[in-house]
This record gives sequence, C-alpha cells and structure tokens, in this order.
Amino acid sequence: MTAAMKAVPFSRAQAELAGNEPVVALRGITKSYGPTLANQAVDLTVGRGEVVGLVGGNGAGKSTLMRVLSGGTTPDAGELAIAGKPRTWNDYNPGEAQTAGIRIVHQELSLCGNLTVAENFYLERPDAGGLRPGWRSTYRDLARQWLDLVFPGHGINVDAELGLLPIGQRQMIEIARAASDPNLRLLVLDEPTSSLDPERSRQLRAFIMASAAKGVAFIFISHKLKEILEITSRIVALRNGRVAWEGSVEGASVERLVEAMGGESEASLRANRNRQEVRSSSEGRVLARIGGAGTAPPGRAVELRSGEIVGLAGLEGNGQRDMLRHIFGAGDSGEVSRLGSVSFVSGDRQREGVFPLWSVLENIGIGRIAGRSGVSSVSAEAERTAAAPTIERLRLDPSRLGSNILELSGGNQQKALVARALAADTEIILLDDPTRGVDVSAKSEFYGVVADMASAGRLVIWHSTEDVEFLECDRVLVFSGGRIVRELVGQEISEEAIVNSSFLQEVSSAGSSQAVSKPVQGSSLARRIIGLMPFVSFLTVLGAMASVNPLVLSPFGLDLLLGSAVALTLIALAQMFIVGGSEIDLGVGAFAGVTNVVSATLLVDNPSLGVAGLIAAWLSYGLLAAIIHARKIPAIVVTLGASFIWVGIGYSLQPTPGGSSPEWLSALFTWQIPGVPTTIVLIVIAGCVAVLIDRSPLGVVLRGFGNNPAALERGGWSVMRYAVIRYLIAGGFALVAGLSLTAINTASDINAGGPFTLLSVAAVVMGGCALLGGIISPTGVVVASLTLSLIGALLGTLGVSTDYNAAVQGGLLLLILVMRMAVDRREDA
Amino acid sequence: MQNLSPWMARNRWIWSLIGILIIWGVLSLITERLSLHSLSGVVASASFLVLAALGQMFVVTTGRGNIDLSIASVIALSAFVSLIVIDGSDERIVLGLLAVLGIGLAVGAMNAVLVLLFRIPAMIATLATGYVLATTTLIANRSIAGAVASPTLAYLAGGRVWGIPVIFLIALVAVTLSSLVLGKLAYGRMLSATGQNARAARLSGIKTGRVTATAFLISSVLAALDGALLSAYVGGAFLEMGAPYLLQSVGAVVLGGSLIFGGSSTALGTLFGCILLVLIVTTMQIAGLPPGTQDIVQGVAIIGVLALAGRPVLKRAARLKPMSEQTAGAQ
Repeated sequence: MTAAMKAVPFSRAQAELAGNEPVVALRGITKSYGPTLANQAVDLTVGRGEVVGLVGGNGAGKSTLMRVLSGGTTPDAGELAIAGKPRTWNDYNPGEAQTAGIRIVHQELSLCGNLTVAENFYLERPDAGGLRPGWRSTYRDLARQWLDLVFPGHGINVDAELGLLPIGQRQMIEIARAASDPNLRLLVLDEPTSSLDPERSRQLRAFIMASAAKGVAFIFISHKLKEILEITSRIVALRNGRVAWEGSVEGASVERLVEAMGGESEASLRANRNRQEVRSSSEGRVLARIGGAGTAPPGRAVELRSGEIVGLAGLEGNGQRDMLRHIFGAGDSGEVSRLGSVSFVSGDRQREGVFPLWSVLENIGIGRIAGRSGVSSVSAEAERTAAAPTIERLRLDPSRLGSNILELSGGNQQKALVARALAADTEIILLDDPTRGVDVSAKSEFYGVVADMASAGRLVIWHSTEDVEFLECDRVLVFSGGRIVRELVGQEISEEAIVNSSFLQEVSSAGSSQAVSKPVQGSSLARRIIGLMPFVSFLTVLGAMASVNPLVLSPFGLDLLLGSAVALTLIALAQMFIVGGSEIDLGVGAFAGVTNVVSATLLVDNPSLGVAGLIAAWLSYGLLAAIIHARKIPAIVVTLGASFIWVGIGYSLQPTPGGSSPEWLSALFTWQIPGVPTTIVLIVIAGCVAVLIDRSPLGVVLRGFGNNPAALERGGWSVMRYAVIRYLIAGGFALVAGLSLTAINTASDINAGGPFTLLSVAAVVMGGCALLGGIISPTGVVVASLTLSLIGALLGTLGVSTDYNAAVQGGLLLLILVMRMAVDRREDA
Repeated sequence: MQNLSPWMARNRWIWSLIGILIIWGVLSLITERLSLHSLSGVVASASFLVLAALGQMFVVTTGRGNIDLSIASVIALSAFVSLIVIDGSDERIVLGLLAVLGIGLAVGAMNAVLVLLFRIPAMIATLATGYVLATTTLIANRSIAGAVASPTLAYLAGGRVWGIPVIFLIALVAVTLSSLVLGKLAYGRMLSATGQNARAARLSGIKTGRVTATAFLISSVLAALDGALLSAYVGGAFLEMGAPYLLQSVGAVVLGGSLIFGGSSTALGTLFGCILLVLIVTTMQIAGLPPGTQDIVQGVAIIGVLALAGRPVLKRAARLKPMSEQTAGAQ
C-alpha cells in the first residue's frame, strides 16, 4: 500500500493532466472508537482527474476514512496533505475541507427537507450570491444550471420544497449541489446511485468522466462492484479498517474485490446451505401472513411458517424495511397479520438497539422482562441464570456481562441484542439488517445462530442490505415500490436473481420516480388549511366582537383593543425563532418583564446605566444559548431557570409596580397618524422585520438548523454561532417587547411578563409553526397573536369573568395542538 | 481512590449528600441559630418537596426532555379541594383523600393522553393543563370560607414522633417505595429502558406508552397528595402555594443526580437534592437575602448544576457514536 504514496496515478488519459502533487494524500490514518479500530494505518492518495473506487463491506472503515478526509472526524494518528501542502488536524474541519475544494455527497442525504431546492443550494454555496437582494434568483439559476448539466431532462422544480420530492430526485439534487462548487478539486460520492434508476446512473457516469477529464478527482464508493469496475481508474479495497487491496482497474475483477473485501464468494456460501434441502416450506405452522395490496404480482397472500428463514430483499427504500416494522406492529388479522409472539433485532444498534447506560447483562435481561407485568420483581441473579445458555451458544464472554454495553465491539453488541431477542423466547424473530458494521468472522458465526433459530422452530424474517446474505434464507421476497414483486424459493435464490427482479420491476413500473415516497397532494392541502387557520380564527373573533359592538372596528377602537397585542406579538415572534430551532423558551415572558422594569427605572434615572443594563441583558440571552449548546442540556430547563433569574432581577430593582417611561421611548411607540391605528402600524412593522429576517440568507440557515442540524454542521456551518444568533434575535424581539410595555403602560411590573410565555407558545403553534422546528411563519404568528389578544377582550365583552382567561388560553392551545395533530396524522396515513 | 470514582459515578446521590454536609457544617460554624431543631424544620419543609419531586423524577426518567410543569397547579388545586371537602372534620378525611386522588388521576391521565395520543411535547401539554387548572383553582378560591385542616391530616403534616416530623417519615416511605420500584420491579427497568432509548425499548417489546402514562399518573397523584398535606401544614390554601414547586421539583431531581435526559434516576438522590435545595433557600433566608436575590440564586444554581452535570453524559454519548463526536469537534 505504500506504493500509492509515490503519488503517480495509474490512470490512462489523465496522466498528462495530473499535476505534480496529488489532490489529497492521507497517510497512516488510524482512528479508534472504544475498542474498535475503524481505521488502521490507512494510506490513500488521489491524483488530479483520477476516479478512485473505494470498496469494502459495512464497517470496513470507508465512512470513517471519508469523515477524516472531509474534516468531520479527527484521527488518532496520521497525516494529511492537500495539493502537496501538509495540514494539521487542529485547524482542519468541514469548512476548511470545502475551502480546499473537497466535497462529499453523503449516503444519508444532507439536504434540508423544509427548504426549497434553491435554498439548499445556498447552504452549500453561501458565497455565490451573497446577501444582495434578489439572492434567491441567483440560486434558482445556479440550481437549474447544475441540475441541467449533470442530469439533463431532470424535470425538478427548483422552487419545490425538498421534503416533498421523491428520494431519487433528492439524490440528484444532492449530487448536483456538491458538483456546483467552482472550486471543486475532489468530489466524494458515497453510494450515489443507490436510489437512481439506470438512466440517471448513466448520466452521472457521463458527468464524472467529463469532469475527470477537466481535472476534478473523484472517490466513488459503491456496493455495486460492476459499477465500480466500469467507472473508476483505480480501486482501493478496505477490510477491517485496513487497505486490503489496491490497484488499477485493469487488474481488478468482481471476484478479486470480493475476496479482498473478505466476503465469501457466492459459491462457498452456497456450499454451506445443505440444511434447507431437508425442509420444504409447506411444513410448519403459519405465523405471519402478508396479503392485500402489498403482494401485487404473486397475487395471493404470502404465508410465513415456523422453522423458515424468510428474506425481505429489494433496493433500499422500496418497502421491505417498512414491511418488517409492519409485521412487528401487526395484529392477528388485517392485510398483514402476525399470529405469534415477536422479538426484533435491529442492526442500527445506537438508535434502535442498545440501552447505553446499562451493562451487557441488563441489556440482555430486558428481553425477558419486557413481556412481564410491571409489578413483578427482577434480580440480576435470575437474569444471569436465564441468560446463561444463550450466552454460551453465542460465545459471549461471561466475564464481560457486567461491563457497559458500549465497551463491547459492534459484533459483540449485536450478539447481546440477539441474546436479548432469544431471552424473550418468541415464536418470530425479526432481523433488520443485523450484521451492519459487524466484522466478517462475527458474521459467519451469526449466520449459524440464525440457522439454529429456525431449526428450533422459530420463524426468522430477515431484512438485509447485503444481497449475499439472502443466500442464508429459505425464501426471499423481493420488494419494489412498496410491493412484493417476486418470490424466490430455495435454489432460485441468487444475488443476480434478486438484483434483476428488483431493478426490472423498477424500470417498467415507475419510470423516473422510482422509489416509494409519501403521497404529497393530501399533505399540501392539509398544510394550506393549517396556514389559513390563524387568519380565519382572527376574522371570526373580530367579527364576533364587531357584532357585539360595531365601534370595535373604528381606528380608535382597534387601537385600544390591540394595545396589549404589541408586546404579545413581539414576544411571540421571539418565541417563534426559538421554536424554529426546535427548542422552547420558558423565560421569554419574564425576560420581557425584566427589560420592562429596567427601561422604566434605570433607563429613566440613569440613561447610560440603563442602556448598559439592557445590552447586558440582551447579551446574556446569547450566553444562555452558548450554555445550552456547549453543554447539550435541555433549553426548556435552562430557560425556566433563567426566568427565575429575570424575575429575581426585576423584583430586586423594583419590588412593587411603578416607574415611568423615558419621554423619547414613549414618543417611539405612541406617535399618531390620523386615521391609522398606531398599534396596527407597530405590529405590521414587527411582522415585516421578522419576515425580512426569515426570508434573508440568515433565516434560511436558521430554518436549516431547525430541520437537519447534522447536515448543516457537515456543511461547515457552526452550530454554536447560529444558536447564539438565534437567541440574540429572539432576545432582541423580547427586549423591544419590554420597551413597548414601558412606553404603552408608562410603568413597569415584573409580573406583567410572565403570562406572555404561554401565550407566545400558543401564538407560535396557532400561527402554523412546527414545534419540532424548521417551519416558521411570521405572518401566521402575528395574526395568531392578535387573535389571542382579542379573545381576552371578547370574553370581557361577553361578560365572562377574567378568571377564565387562563383556562380559555390554555384550552385553546391544547385544542390547536390536538387539531394540528389530527391533520398531521391524516398526512401520515 | 481509583476504586472510589466508578462507585461515585454509579451512586450520583453522593454529591448532593456532600453538598448538604458542607452547607450544614458551614452554617453551624458561622451561626448559632442552626440547631438540630431548625434542621428538622428544614427536613419537614423538604419533605413536601420530596413528594412532588419524586413524581417529577418518574416523568423525567421517561426521557426525551419530558417534564411535568402541571405539578404546581395540581398542588394548589388539591390543597383547595381537600380543605373544602374535608372541612376540618376527620370523618370526611377518606372522602377528601378520594377527591384528591381523583384530581391526581384525572390530571395525570389528561397529561398522558395529550403527550402520548396527541404527541404534544410534555412541557407544552403540562404547561397548558396547568393553566386550565389555575382557573379551576381561582373558582375554588371563591367558594372557600375560613378553612381549617382536619386534626388527623394536620398531625400527618405537622406532627412529630420522637421529635421527628411525621411528614418526613412519610417522605422516607415514599422514597423507599420509589427506590424499590426503580430498582427491583420490572416497571423500573422498563421505565429506564424507555428513557434511555424509546425506539429500542419499543422494539424490545416494552409498551412504552403505558410506561410513560404511568409515570405521569404517579407524578400527578403524588403532587395531589402533597397539596392536601401542604394545606394541612400551613392551615389554609392560597393561589400561589404550588408555584415554588415548579422549578424546585426539577431542580431537586437534577441536583440529586438523576439524568435530565432520562433513563437513570435515583430516589435517594432526589431526597438529598430536596434537602439540599431547601437548605440553600433557608440559608439565604437566614442570611437575610431579599426574595429577588433568592430567585436569582435558585435560577443560577439550577443552570449551573445542569451545565456541570451535562458533561459526563455527553462524553458517554460521544464514545457511543461518531456522529456526536463530529458535533463536538466542529465547534
């Protein structure tokens, strides 16, 4: 492997294009995660215009190596040189990598679903259009231009919201977006064709060839070895974190690569499969049944029986994984039904497998405990005894049962999860890509365990992303577009048959929008209803009030009624920006209260001290964000704690309501244009400022963070900086709210702010923002704030005691949330 | 020392106990006023916090940032209702406790439905139910007239056995029961699993919805009983009587060493956390700090403890997944 360090690319036509220095040279990269060595002394050099294929099984270390290359991970040891210049790891990060022209198209897409295609281009290329007005059209053009270039005839609307597009189109956008960098030196494509149809894959290959001829280097990662052989000039195969084979494409073949990656060849696997000759699929008890729309071509219900191993195959995202989950959640009747007890083993150990705070034994024991009554007693001793035989069968080291589960290697963690499923002693075991990131020897051991499960009379249903694993199955159901399109039994099962049936169906049935995507028409209608809700309720409330007292609609009447709405609108807008980042600020009302007090006391007595105090308060808001994000603690508790600080400060400054308003401040808020209600103008101004922020590039970044913070971070955006900016924006609105209270009431009361907190959350939710973050609507929030302010007045006009105010507001908030939930649920269906 | 640190990492309640001993030591050095008797006063008022905080602890353990913000309103409402229903007579005590229990179960069920069925974030749902309850309390406030606590309830809340406040014994029983539930019952395991990794818990066959709903019920019922005892203790009820428990119940849980992200809680730690918190407040009162400053100190203490306690969890998570290691690296 050291030969590669000589840095002369092997390739054909590009030889003369290649400069003296390789685009990137990684040397001796070593990185460990706990006991697992993800990379061990890996060298990788990529020359100008070279297309390097990177192959290796799951967990071979490809992703780690690419994260190191892109600045996302700092290795334990190793060197990096870009264009011949050595770089130090300390000042190498995703932003630096991008500046150096290194870009990655990740396997898990790094686009923000809540933004438009053009806005997503902005996130990748913030330098291209700057902050000028009209920046949007720049990015629309950019997006169109590059999509046309890479995927001619793509048919993607660049103003479409990304989350509404099918996965194939999203992948095209992701690739075009990374390719659009004018500074591009090296583009890493991680499984770029996993959801592209053959025609789009061909276009991509053509683009890669054309760009390579111009000197751009590529690293192409794919499980499809034939594709690698067609497109690359040199291939590097990784195995267990080391370079196992490296050479020019001329010397490579599928067999050669498979051998290097450590996979057993199909033939040798098949040799192990003598046991299923013994069993035919018609014996055994029916434990699960798949019928209805999911089984189009077979045209009959598929019955799964005890003692069988059934594989669910297909291209990723074609419904096989959903089917597994469907079976897990199914009852004993319906289209998909399950007639036996079930346990589940997921290969996504972090998210769906391990309990990170527990020992190995506790992680196993929960499988037995889960099915029991909550009041039954548990003991470590009983668990140990119960788990002993399984542990022995799986060859788990008994001396490590007491260690934390995370101290085990991936393979052993997976064994523990299998032990958990066996401990539950169920009739059906569902496996969801269980060997992900598990090394080769552990894998073959695992296959033995699965065979044992079936021999013991269990039904094993197995979804895998590695087609070769289906050779372990008795039966394979191939999925495409959410349906079973082929059933392969016994000797019919081969990698080729699986790939053929999943692709064939794809081309004939779906055309360009191949993969399953959620239906979009229904959701856009539901969304429109949600969007209109605040306006409709505002008009209803206003109408109700006007019918009781027509004077309400006069400028003076409106001014009087909406006087209290100014502060609420501002505070709600502050809350909106926090909610946009999927957090909630429980101190925002109290903060407005404290600025109210400061501006009515200090600012009057000692203007310079008052201004300093207000600025300090505003900055401390940014500090809160810094604490929340540096320490990763829940915003809700921090802001709740902060609310006590604000109230305490306000109370210390002014124990009882009082104070006065500085004249200039009153002048700012209480001027008069005849015939126009001042408060309406103020509220409109506040709304406009919020809209401008939201529509600006900054607003796009903030919304992006609310939707997919990991992707933005990989793109080189600083989480901390934007968290602080978000809180400073919110703090700014809340501060102005406090000032408006002072100016309008010409007095202050620290307790005046508190009630605004709940109201602001209500206004944000009612205004159509998503509590999960990413989706905000300034106009909706403004209108919702007006509505909420009017409700108080409406209750008054109707002669309802003010005691009911809180209940009505709380009840309204719940009602809105419940309605939103109902709409969302329909969307999901 | 090397053997000690993993032990301390496992028994996080030790920190709050150390905190108590330090403050107590310092106080007895600088002032004569802190006798053993006044410490028993601290313990008595901490006991009311313990009942509320244990409930909060169960909700926090369910994870995903779940917090019960309706505790304060439940305490106030059940204080009013118990006074009105019992009306100072021991014969009506069962009736009163049933009413209080009913409030707890109803509010807990309401919270659970909102959180689980309608998937409203717990803090928003409980905040909103809290507001609705506040109105109910206002109405109850109008119908209350010169309330007196029943003798039995007053004894439970304010009496002493061998110089030990009865309420403290009640709190100790509650702590012991909670400890048993968390450590020895299947429910405790399921609760911890749900809090650590809800998806994994569901796939392991745990009915996470039922587990979470139970936690909300426990929280509301404990808060309701607490309210009844508190009204007997102070001999009346007022609108804001639950308010201090809003932040303090969360604060005591965190101070006690339970993880704010859920999944791991200690009832013993919550007990010590409550005593520590009440001790801090008492110290401030002895020192003559104005109420405003006391609020500030409490707020700063909560944020400070969270910021310090957040760290080990983060480290652990970083080791768990490369993704979060990436997060830490790019800042």
